[in-house]
Amino acid sequence: MGHSWDFATILQNWPVLWVGIKGTIFIFVITVILGLGGGLIVGVARYAKSPFISYPARAFVEIFRNTPVLVQIIWFFYAFPILTGIETDPFLAAVLGISLNTMAFSAEIYRAGIQSIDKGQWEAGKAIGMTYNQTLRRIILPVAIKRVLPALTNRGIEVFKMSTLASVVGYVETLNQAKLIADLNFNPIESYTAVAIIFFVVLYPVVQATYVLERRLRRSD
Amino acid sequence: MEWNFLAVLNDIDLLFLGLVNTLKVTGLALFFGVPLGLVLALSRLSTFKPLSAVAGFIVEFFRTTPPLVQLFWFFFALPILIDVSMTPLIAAVVTFSIQSSAFFAEIFRSGIQSIDKGQWEGAKAIGMTYSQSLSRIILPQAVKRMIPAFMERSIELLKTTTLVSTVAYADLMFQANELAQKTFRPLEVYTIVAVIYLVLIFLCSQFSIWVEHRLAKSGEGTVR
Repeated sequence: MGHSWDFATILQNWPVLWVGIKGTIFIFVITVILGLGGGLIVGVARYAKSPFISYPARAFVEIFRNTPVLVQIIWFFYAFPILTGIETDPFLAAVLGISLNTMAFSAEIYRAGIQSIDKGQWEAGKAIGMTYNQTLRRIILPVAIKRVLPALTNRGIEVFKMSTLASVVGYVETLNQAKLIADLNFNPIESYTAVAIIFFVVLYPVVQATYVLERRLRRSD
Repeated sequence: MEWNFLAVLNDIDLLFLGLVNTLKVTGLALFFGVPLGLVLALSRLSTFKPLSAVAGFIVEFFRTTPPLVQLFWFFFALPILIDVSMTPLIAAVVTFSIQSSAFFAEIFRSGIQSIDKGQWEGAKAIGMTYSQSLSRIILPQAVKRMIPAFMERSIELLKTTTLVSTVAYADLMFQANELAQKTFRPLEVYTIVAVIYLVLIFLCSQFSIWVEHRLAKSGEGTVR
């Protein structure tokens, strides 16, 4: 024991940490939009009647759900450039890994939502002359997405935590900057504790809000 | 660009060693994490307010902070704080035991809460104590309902263990990094490793789906 906590060096290095926090926010926003948006497309494709659409979608989901996201990020950083000749920097590799992983997970959430809608809704859409796409867009998806909103929020929370993995390939985000501060000031305790507190303070209210959302939706359903 | 797996196949035993270590960390984390999860869940359900508040805080804290931050904390910060020597294996097992116990706690809690109150009352009526009703009446029923969620979490844990490579524990991911540097064949190495994880985790997922169907047939609702 006998360690005296000293957060003063963290506060002195606040600008360094702030750069990392901005990096975290930036990559979170991009990956959450790509992941949850792209997931909707894959989820709908997964539900399609044509096997030429649903099978590739299924393969995509299985591959990206059944491999660790860190393996994906590292694959996109070291292997993908050799395969395609496209150079990936840490940011691009992390965005590809995290977004594709999130797309696969959220596709299954959307699919479950679509499947939970009563068949009669499809028939009703058809009966009043709507095409498949119209029924999907105007009748099925609005209800389906509302139902899976808590699951999507949970995915968003996971994405926010996953953003720390970008530090492994050297993208500048909160954990990366904390490591820098820890190495320069020999204060790993305060640095990593500060990062843990930052994540907790941001995510705890979001998690609580998800519980409230869940209860509300259950009542309105 | 030409694929050449020969260099990698010559050193495949390195990857095999990594795979064994990956399974070792996962197994140890499950071994400690599941009982700890039960303790956290029972504490959270306790009517003694301070105990349930502390358990609730631990669960929420470990669920809302990134596992990589937790790992760094246990590896770099804890040894200074309590003056113990930390190896990558111990740091990994401690981190993932506690981290997964927070998630297991929520599975235990929803499983226990899903059991009808009358079961507790019935047990009490025939003179069982709290711990007797829990171990003989409630848990046997709750555990069956929890199995699918429990397996899903274990698979998540298996995937999360790749993070130990960042503190230089020789798991499959770490061995891949070593081999990629040694052979100058990152494309082949990382692709093979991705395929190993894919096969391993896909089989686990299929197994868990199969079990879930079996449970559904035997007439048990599942808790998620």
